[in-house]
Amino acid sequence: MDSVYVIGRDAVPSLVRLGSGESLKMTLVVPEGESCKLELEIELDGPGASLDLAGASMSGGSEQVNIKVTVRHNVPGCRSEQLFKSVAGGQARVSFDGLVYVAHGAVRTVAHQQNHSLLLSGEALVESRPQLEIYADDVECSHGATTGYLNPEELFYMRSRGIPEDVARAMQVEAFLAPVLSRAGEGGQL
Amino acid sequence: MSDILLEIKGLRAGIESREILKGVDFTIRRGEVHAIMGPNGAGKSTLSAVLAGRPDYKVTAGSVEFDGRDLLAMAPEERSWEGIFLSFQYPVEIPGVSISNFMKAAMNARRKAAGLPELKPAEFLALMKEKMAFVQMKGEFARRDVNAGFSGGEKKRNEIFQMAMLEPVLSILDETDSGLDVDALRIVAEGVNRLRTPQTASIVITHYQRLLEYIVPDVVHVLKDGRIVATGGAELVQQIETQGYDSIDG
Repeated sequence: MDSVYVIGRDAVPSLVRLGSGESLKMTLVVPEGESCKLELEIELDGPGASLDLAGASMSGGSEQVNIKVTVRHNVPGCRSEQLFKSVAGGQARVSFDGLVYVAHGAVRTVAHQQNHSLLLSGEALVESRPQLEIYADDVECSHGATTGYLNPEELFYMRSRGIPEDVARAMQVEAFLAPVLSRAGEGGQL
Repeated sequence: MSDILLEIKGLRAGIESREILKGVDFTIRRGEVHAIMGPNGAGKSTLSAVLAGRPDYKVTAGSVEFDGRDLLAMAPEERSWEGIFLSFQYPVEIPGVSISNFMKAAMNARRKAAGLPELKPAEFLALMKEKMAFVQMKGEFARRDVNAGFSGGEKKRNEIFQMAMLEPVLSILDETDSGLDVDALRIVAEGVNRLRTPQTASIVITHYQRLLEYIVPDVVHVLKDGRIVATGGAELVQQIETQGYDSIDG
Protein backbone atom coordinates (compact mmCIF):
# COMPACT_ATOMS: atom_id res chain seq x y z
CA MET A 1 0.00 0.00 0.00
CA ASP A 2 1.26 3.49 -0.83
CA SER A 3 -0.45 6.36 0.91
CA VAL A 4 0.20 10.07 1.14
CA TYR A 5 -1.30 12.22 3.88
CA VAL A 6 -1.32 15.98 3.64
CA ILE A 7 -1.91 17.48 7.06
CA GLY A 8 -4.86 19.88 7.05
CA ARG A 9 -6.45 17.88 4.24
CA ASP A 10 -6.27 14.24 5.24
CA ALA A 11 -6.84 12.54 8.56
CA VAL A 12 -3.84 10.50 9.63
CA PRO A 13 -4.62 7.23 11.41
CA SER A 14 -3.25 7.10 14.93
CA LEU A 15 -2.60 3.36 14.84
CA VAL A 16 -1.66 1.06 12.00
CA ARG A 17 -1.07 -2.69 12.40
CA LEU A 18 0.86 -4.64 9.82
CA GLY A 19 0.40 -8.39 9.70
CA SER A 20 2.54 -11.15 8.28
CA GLY A 21 4.27 -10.11 5.04
CA GLU A 22 2.33 -6.85 4.77
CA SER A 23 4.11 -3.73 3.65
CA LEU A 24 3.18 -0.09 3.94
CA LYS A 25 4.69 2.94 2.24
CA MET A 26 3.44 6.05 3.96
CA THR A 27 4.30 9.70 3.39
CA LEU A 28 3.26 12.57 5.64
CA VAL A 29 3.41 16.15 4.42
CA VAL A 30 2.93 19.16 6.70
CA PRO A 31 2.49 22.15 4.37
CA GLU A 32 3.54 25.69 5.24
CA GLY A 33 1.08 27.46 7.52
CA GLU A 34 -0.14 24.25 9.10
CA SER A 35 0.32 23.59 12.83
CA CYS A 36 -0.27 20.10 14.08
CA LYS A 37 0.19 17.60 16.86
CA LEU A 38 0.54 14.23 15.21
CA GLU A 39 0.81 10.96 17.07
CA LEU A 40 1.29 7.88 15.01
CA GLU A 41 1.91 4.35 16.16
CA ILE A 42 2.78 1.51 13.86
CA GLU A 43 2.76 -2.05 15.13
CA LEU A 44 4.67 -4.65 13.16
CA ASP A 45 2.72 -7.70 14.26
CA GLY A 46 3.47 -10.35 11.66
CA PRO A 47 6.83 -11.75 10.52
CA GLY A 48 8.19 -10.10 7.39
CA ALA A 49 6.08 -6.95 7.81
CA SER A 50 7.74 -3.91 6.33
CA LEU A 51 7.28 -0.17 6.86
CA ASP A 52 8.64 2.63 4.72
CA LEU A 53 7.66 5.89 6.39
CA ALA A 54 8.69 9.41 5.38
CA GLY A 55 7.60 12.85 6.41
CA ALA A 56 8.31 16.43 5.45
CA SER A 57 7.31 19.64 7.14
CA MET A 58 7.65 23.22 5.93
CA SER A 59 7.08 25.98 8.44
CA GLY A 60 7.94 29.59 7.85
CA GLY A 61 5.84 31.60 10.29
CA SER A 62 4.71 30.85 13.82
CA GLU A 63 3.60 27.25 13.25
CA GLN A 64 3.95 24.63 15.96
CA VAL A 65 4.56 21.21 14.48
CA ASN A 66 4.85 18.23 16.80
CA ILE A 67 5.31 14.80 15.33
CA LYS A 68 5.54 11.73 17.48
CA VAL A 69 6.07 8.38 15.84
CA THR A 70 6.30 5.04 17.59
CA VAL A 71 7.26 1.97 15.61
CA ARG A 72 7.01 -1.34 17.44
CA HIS A 73 8.76 -4.41 16.15
CA ASN A 74 6.76 -7.08 17.99
CA VAL A 75 7.87 -10.18 16.08
CA PRO A 76 11.03 -11.41 14.32
CA GLY A 77 12.13 -10.44 10.83
CA CYS A 78 10.36 -7.10 10.30
CA ARG A 79 11.80 -4.02 8.69
CA SER A 80 11.17 -0.31 9.23
CA GLU A 81 12.69 2.68 7.44
CA GLN A 82 11.91 6.22 8.55
CA LEU A 83 12.98 9.52 7.05
CA PHE A 84 11.71 12.81 8.42
CA LYS A 85 12.78 16.19 7.06
CA SER A 86 11.81 19.56 8.47
CA VAL A 87 12.34 23.08 7.21
CA ALA A 88 11.77 25.75 9.83
CA GLY A 89 11.82 29.49 9.26
CA GLY A 90 10.26 32.49 10.99
CA GLN A 91 9.52 31.61 14.61
CA ALA A 92 8.35 28.10 13.87
CA ARG A 93 8.68 25.38 16.49
CA VAL A 94 9.12 21.88 15.16
CA SER A 95 9.66 18.75 17.19
CA PHE A 96 10.14 15.14 16.24
CA ASP A 97 9.90 12.31 18.73
CA GLY A 98 10.70 8.98 17.21
CA LEU A 99 10.68 5.79 19.20
CA VAL A 100 11.70 2.50 17.72
CA TYR A 101 10.80 -0.34 20.05
CA VAL A 102 12.12 -3.84 19.46
CA ALA A 103 10.31 -6.38 21.63
CA HIS A 104 11.90 -9.31 23.40
CA GLY A 105 12.40 -12.05 20.84
CA ALA A 106 11.96 -9.81 17.78
CA VAL A 107 15.23 -11.02 16.31
CA ARG A 108 16.46 -10.11 12.80
CA THR A 109 14.77 -6.74 13.11
CA VAL A 110 16.03 -4.09 10.71
CA ALA A 111 15.12 -0.53 11.75
CA HIS A 112 16.57 2.73 10.48
CA GLN A 113 15.44 6.21 11.39
CA GLN A 114 16.71 9.53 10.04
CA ASN A 115 15.62 13.02 11.05
CA HIS A 116 17.13 16.03 9.32
CA SER A 117 16.23 19.66 9.87
CA LEU A 118 17.02 22.84 8.03
CA LEU A 119 16.77 26.14 9.88
CA LEU A 120 16.02 29.22 7.81
CA SER A 121 16.04 31.74 10.61
CA GLY A 122 17.78 32.30 13.90
CA GLU A 123 14.45 32.34 15.72
CA ALA A 124 13.10 29.03 14.48
CA LEU A 125 13.57 26.05 16.74
CA VAL A 126 13.72 22.36 16.00
CA GLU A 127 13.98 19.53 18.48
CA SER A 128 14.79 16.00 17.56
CA ARG A 129 14.40 13.18 20.03
CA PRO A 130 15.17 9.84 18.47
CA GLN A 131 14.96 6.85 20.79
CA LEU A 132 15.78 3.21 20.40
CA GLU A 133 14.50 0.64 22.88
CA ILE A 134 15.85 -2.75 22.06
CA TYR A 135 15.10 -5.93 23.97
CA ALA A 136 16.26 -8.47 21.40
CA ASP A 137 19.61 -9.69 20.12
CA ASP A 138 20.61 -10.01 16.48
CA VAL A 139 19.06 -6.75 15.28
CA GLU A 140 20.23 -4.02 12.91
CA CYS A 141 19.07 -0.66 14.23
CA SER A 142 20.30 2.89 13.65
CA HIS A 143 19.16 6.43 13.98
CA GLY A 144 20.63 9.75 12.93
CA ALA A 145 19.67 13.35 13.35
CA THR A 146 21.15 16.53 11.89
CA THR A 147 20.22 20.19 12.08
CA GLY A 148 21.78 22.84 9.89
CA TYR A 149 21.42 26.06 7.96
CA LEU A 150 21.47 26.67 4.21
CA ASN A 151 24.98 26.24 2.91
CA PRO A 152 26.50 29.67 2.13
CA GLU A 153 28.98 28.13 -0.34
CA GLU A 154 26.13 26.67 -2.38
CA LEU A 155 24.24 29.96 -2.24
CA PHE A 156 27.22 31.94 -3.50
CA TYR A 157 27.91 29.41 -6.23
CA MET A 158 24.35 29.67 -7.49
CA ARG A 159 24.31 33.47 -7.26
CA SER A 160 27.61 33.66 -9.15
CA ARG A 161 25.78 31.95 -12.04
CA GLY A 162 23.06 34.59 -11.97
CA ILE A 163 20.48 32.79 -9.86
CA PRO A 164 18.92 35.41 -7.55
CA GLU A 165 19.36 34.81 -3.84
CA ASP A 166 15.69 34.07 -3.14
CA VAL A 167 15.51 31.55 -5.99
CA ALA A 168 18.78 29.96 -4.86
CA ARG A 169 17.41 29.55 -1.35
CA ALA A 170 14.18 28.04 -2.64
CA MET A 171 16.13 25.60 -4.81
CA GLN A 172 18.17 24.48 -1.81
CA VAL A 173 15.05 23.97 0.29
CA GLU A 174 13.45 22.02 -2.53
CA ALA A 175 16.55 19.86 -2.89
CA PHE A 176 16.55 19.20 0.85
CA LEU A 177 12.92 18.04 0.84
CA ALA A 178 13.04 16.25 -2.50
CA PRO A 179 13.71 12.75 -1.12
CA VAL A 180 10.37 12.95 0.73
CA LEU A 181 8.32 15.14 -1.59
CA SER A 182 9.21 13.10 -4.67
CA ARG A 183 7.41 10.17 -3.01
CA ALA A 184 4.29 12.27 -2.58
CA GLY A 185 4.51 13.42 -6.20
CA GLU A 186 4.88 9.87 -7.53
CA GLY A 187 1.48 8.87 -6.22
CA GLY A 188 -0.04 11.94 -7.88
CA GLN A 189 -1.61 12.78 -4.57
CA LEU A 190 0.00 16.12 -3.89
CA MET B 1 31.61 50.39 -26.31
CA SER B 2 34.77 51.25 -24.45
CA ASP B 3 37.99 49.39 -25.11
CA ILE B 4 38.62 49.19 -21.36
CA LEU B 5 36.65 46.38 -19.77
CA LEU B 6 37.94 46.23 -16.22
CA GLU B 7 39.74 48.88 -14.23
CA ILE B 8 40.97 48.05 -10.74
CA LYS B 9 42.39 50.90 -8.68
CA GLY B 10 43.98 50.74 -5.22
CA LEU B 11 41.98 47.65 -4.26
CA ARG B 12 42.32 46.59 -0.67
CA ALA B 13 40.29 43.69 0.64
CA GLY B 14 40.30 40.86 3.10
CA ILE B 15 38.33 38.46 5.17
CA GLU B 16 37.26 39.19 8.72
CA SER B 17 39.86 41.64 10.01
CA ARG B 18 42.75 40.28 7.92
CA GLU B 19 43.85 42.39 4.97
CA ILE B 20 44.89 40.18 2.05
CA LEU B 21 44.91 42.52 -0.96
CA LYS B 22 47.02 45.55 -0.09
CA GLY B 23 46.50 47.86 -3.02
CA VAL B 24 46.00 46.20 -6.42
CA ASP B 25 45.87 48.15 -9.68
CA PHE B 26 45.47 46.89 -13.22
CA THR B 27 43.41 47.44 -16.33
CA ILE B 28 42.06 44.89 -18.79
CA ARG B 29 41.05 45.73 -22.34
CA ARG B 30 38.62 43.79 -24.47
CA GLY B 31 40.22 40.89 -26.29
CA GLU B 32 42.99 40.43 -23.72
CA VAL B 33 43.95 37.47 -21.59
CA HIS B 34 45.66 38.40 -18.35
CA ALA B 35 47.46 35.84 -16.23
CA ILE B 36 47.83 36.36 -12.52
CA MET B 37 50.58 34.29 -11.05
CA GLY B 38 51.86 34.12 -7.55
CA PRO B 39 52.88 31.88 -4.71
CA ASN B 40 50.37 30.36 -2.31
CA GLY B 41 48.83 32.93 0.00
CA ALA B 42 49.59 35.86 -2.32
CA GLY B 43 45.90 36.79 -2.57
CA LYS B 44 45.06 35.30 -5.97
CA SER B 45 41.86 33.61 -4.83
CA THR B 46 40.88 36.65 -2.78
CA LEU B 47 41.07 38.74 -5.93
CA SER B 48 38.77 36.35 -7.79
CA ALA B 49 36.37 36.18 -4.84
CA VAL B 50 36.18 39.97 -4.60
CA LEU B 51 35.54 40.33 -8.33
CA ALA B 52 32.72 37.76 -8.18
CA GLY B 53 31.22 39.36 -5.06
CA ARG B 54 31.70 36.69 -2.44
CA PRO B 55 29.85 38.05 0.62
CA ASP B 56 32.41 37.11 3.28
CA TYR B 57 35.16 39.18 1.65
CA LYS B 58 35.19 42.88 2.49
CA VAL B 59 36.60 45.62 0.33
CA THR B 60 38.15 48.33 2.47
CA ALA B 61 39.52 50.67 -0.19
CA GLY B 62 39.79 51.22 -3.92
CA SER B 63 37.45 50.79 -6.86
CA VAL B 64 36.60 48.31 -9.58
CA GLU B 65 34.90 49.51 -12.74
CA PHE B 66 33.47 46.95 -15.10
CA ASP B 67 32.53 48.38 -18.49
CA GLY B 68 32.32 51.79 -16.85
CA ARG B 69 30.08 50.67 -13.99
CA ASP B 70 30.81 50.24 -10.28
CA LEU B 71 31.24 46.49 -9.97
CA LEU B 72 31.60 46.48 -6.19
CA ALA B 73 28.08 47.91 -5.78
CA MET B 74 26.52 44.90 -7.54
CA ALA B 75 25.22 41.67 -5.98
CA PRO B 76 26.89 38.47 -7.22
CA GLU B 77 23.89 37.62 -9.43
CA GLU B 78 23.94 41.10 -11.00
CA ARG B 79 27.62 40.69 -11.81
CA SER B 80 26.76 37.44 -13.57
CA TRP B 81 24.01 39.16 -15.57
CA GLU B 82 26.51 41.84 -16.58
CA GLY B 83 28.85 39.16 -17.93
CA ILE B 84 31.24 38.23 -15.12
CA PHE B 85 31.98 34.54 -14.73
CA LEU B 86 34.15 32.89 -12.09
CA SER B 87 35.38 29.38 -12.68
CA PHE B 88 35.80 28.18 -9.09
CA GLN B 89 39.00 26.65 -7.83
CA TYR B 90 36.80 24.31 -5.80
CA PRO B 91 33.45 23.97 -7.59
CA VAL B 92 30.66 23.52 -5.06
CA GLU B 93 28.58 20.36 -4.87
CA ILE B 94 24.82 20.93 -4.80
CA PRO B 95 23.13 17.62 -4.01
CA GLY B 96 19.51 17.47 -5.12
CA VAL B 97 19.84 20.10 -7.86
CA SER B 98 20.40 18.73 -11.35
CA ILE B 99 22.70 20.48 -13.79
CA SER B 100 19.74 20.88 -16.09
CA ASN B 101 17.59 22.66 -13.47
CA PHE B 102 20.56 24.68 -12.27
CA MET B 103 21.36 25.95 -15.77
CA LYS B 104 17.71 26.60 -16.57
CA ALA B 105 17.43 28.78 -13.44
CA ALA B 106 20.66 30.59 -14.32
CA MET B 107 19.79 31.19 -17.99
CA ASN B 108 16.26 32.33 -17.30
CA ALA B 109 17.25 34.67 -14.46
CA ARG B 110 19.71 36.34 -16.78
CA ARG B 111 17.15 36.59 -19.58
CA LYS B 112 14.61 38.04 -17.19
CA ALA B 113 17.12 40.67 -16.07
CA ALA B 114 17.67 41.57 -19.73
CA GLY B 115 13.90 41.80 -20.35
CA LEU B 116 13.86 38.66 -22.51
CA PRO B 117 11.32 35.82 -22.33
CA GLU B 118 12.31 32.45 -20.89
CA LEU B 119 13.95 29.99 -23.24
CA LYS B 120 11.57 27.46 -24.76
CA PRO B 121 12.30 23.90 -23.55
CA ALA B 122 13.46 22.82 -27.03
CA GLU B 123 15.79 25.83 -27.31
CA PHE B 124 17.23 25.14 -23.88
CA LEU B 125 17.82 21.46 -24.64
CA ALA B 126 19.49 22.22 -27.95
CA LEU B 127 21.79 24.72 -26.23
CA MET B 128 22.64 22.26 -23.46
CA LYS B 129 23.47 19.58 -26.01
CA GLU B 130 25.70 21.90 -28.02
CA LYS B 131 27.65 23.13 -24.98
CA MET B 132 27.97 19.68 -23.44
CA ALA B 133 29.60 18.47 -26.65
CA PHE B 134 31.92 21.45 -26.35
CA VAL B 135 33.48 20.03 -23.17
CA GLN B 136 32.98 16.40 -24.23
CA MET B 137 30.26 15.62 -21.69
CA LYS B 138 27.75 12.87 -22.39
CA GLY B 139 23.96 13.24 -22.32
CA GLU B 140 23.46 11.82 -18.83
CA PHE B 141 25.56 14.69 -17.47
CA ALA B 142 22.56 17.04 -17.54
CA ARG B 143 20.62 14.82 -15.15
CA ARG B 144 23.39 14.55 -12.57
CA ASP B 145 23.35 16.73 -9.47
CA VAL B 146 25.65 19.74 -9.75
CA ASN B 147 29.21 18.53 -9.05
CA ALA B 148 27.96 15.87 -6.62
CA GLY B 149 30.43 13.00 -6.69
CA PHE B 150 32.23 14.44 -9.72
CA SER B 151 35.92 13.77 -10.22
CA GLY B 152 38.25 16.78 -10.19
CA GLY B 153 38.37 16.80 -13.98
CA GLU B 154 34.58 16.57 -14.31
CA LYS B 155 34.14 19.49 -11.94
CA LYS B 156 36.44 21.70 -13.98
CA ARG B 157 34.80 20.66 -17.25
CA ASN B 158 31.46 21.51 -15.66
CA GLU B 159 32.80 24.99 -14.92
CA ILE B 160 33.81 25.46 -18.55
CA PHE B 161 30.46 24.04 -19.68
CA GLN B 162 28.67 26.66 -17.58
CA MET B 163 30.98 29.31 -18.98
CA ALA B 164 30.06 28.22 -22.51
CA MET B 165 26.35 28.37 -21.62
CA LEU B 166 26.55 31.83 -20.05
CA GLU B 167 28.92 33.36 -22.64
CA PRO B 168 30.58 35.78 -20.23
CA VAL B 169 32.25 39.04 -21.14
CA LEU B 170 34.92 38.60 -18.47
CA SER B 171 35.91 35.10 -17.37
CA ILE B 172 37.98 34.58 -14.27
CA LEU B 173 39.60 31.16 -14.13
CA ASP B 174 40.74 30.52 -10.58
CA GLU B 175 43.38 27.76 -10.57
CA THR B 176 41.41 25.88 -13.20
CA ASP B 177 44.49 23.72 -13.73
CA SER B 178 44.71 22.44 -10.15
CA GLY B 179 44.03 18.75 -9.91
CA LEU B 180 43.72 18.21 -13.67
CA ASP B 181 45.46 15.57 -15.70
CA VAL B 182 46.84 16.56 -19.09
CA ASP B 183 43.78 15.38 -21.05
CA ALA B 184 41.34 17.29 -18.87
CA LEU B 185 43.63 20.31 -18.96
CA ARG B 186 43.61 20.23 -22.75
CA ILE B 187 39.80 19.99 -22.94
CA VAL B 188 39.45 22.89 -20.52
CA ALA B 189 42.04 25.04 -22.28
CA GLU B 190 40.58 24.37 -25.72
CA GLY B 191 37.18 25.32 -24.37
CA VAL B 192 38.51 28.60 -23.03
CA ASN B 193 40.40 29.38 -26.24
CA ARG B 194 37.37 28.74 -28.43
CA LEU B 195 35.32 31.12 -26.28
CA ARG B 196 37.79 33.97 -26.84
CA THR B 197 36.40 36.88 -28.86
CA PRO B 198 37.64 40.43 -29.55
CA GLN B 199 34.89 41.74 -27.23
CA THR B 200 35.62 39.51 -24.25
CA ALA B 201 38.52 39.08 -21.86
CA SER B 202 39.84 36.55 -19.36
CA ILE B 203 41.81 36.49 -16.16
CA VAL B 204 43.72 33.25 -15.70
CA ILE B 205 44.86 32.72 -12.13
CA THR B 206 47.49 30.08 -11.69
CA HIS B 207 50.38 29.01 -9.56
CA TYR B 208 52.19 27.16 -12.34
CA GLN B 209 53.09 27.95 -15.92
CA ARG B 210 51.58 24.70 -17.23
CA LEU B 211 48.13 26.10 -18.08
CA LEU B 212 49.73 29.10 -19.79
CA GLU B 213 51.25 26.80 -22.40
CA TYR B 214 47.69 26.16 -23.55
CA ILE B 215 46.07 29.52 -22.83
CA VAL B 216 48.60 32.11 -23.95
CA PRO B 217 48.30 35.37 -22.00
CA ASP B 218 48.80 38.87 -23.42
CA VAL B 219 49.73 40.28 -20.03
CA VAL B 220 51.20 38.57 -16.98
CA HIS B 221 50.95 39.99 -13.45
CA VAL B 222 52.82 38.62 -10.49
CA LEU B 223 50.95 38.92 -7.21
CA LYS B 224 52.96 38.67 -3.99
CA ASP B 225 51.75 39.44 -0.51
CA GLY B 226 48.65 41.25 -1.76
CA ARG B 227 50.39 43.47 -4.30
CA ILE B 228 51.23 43.23 -7.97
CA VAL B 229 55.01 43.29 -7.97
CA ALA B 230 55.64 42.81 -11.68
CA THR B 231 53.72 43.11 -14.93
CA GLY B 232 55.01 41.96 -18.29
CA GLY B 233 54.59 39.55 -21.13
CA ALA B 234 55.12 35.84 -21.51
CA GLU B 235 58.80 36.25 -20.60
CA LEU B 236 57.73 36.66 -16.96
CA VAL B 237 56.27 33.17 -17.04
CA GLN B 238 59.65 31.84 -18.19
CA GLN B 239 61.47 33.73 -15.47
CA ILE B 240 59.19 32.31 -12.78
CA GLU B 241 59.55 28.84 -14.23
CA THR B 242 63.34 28.90 -14.23
CA GLN B 243 64.13 31.14 -11.26
CA GLY B 244 61.05 30.96 -9.04
CA TYR B 245 58.92 33.68 -7.43
CA ASP B 246 61.82 34.77 -5.24
CA SER B 247 63.55 36.16 -8.34
CA ILE B 248 60.82 38.77 -8.67
CA ASP B 249 61.18 41.54 -6.15
CA GLY B 250 58.21 42.74 -4.19
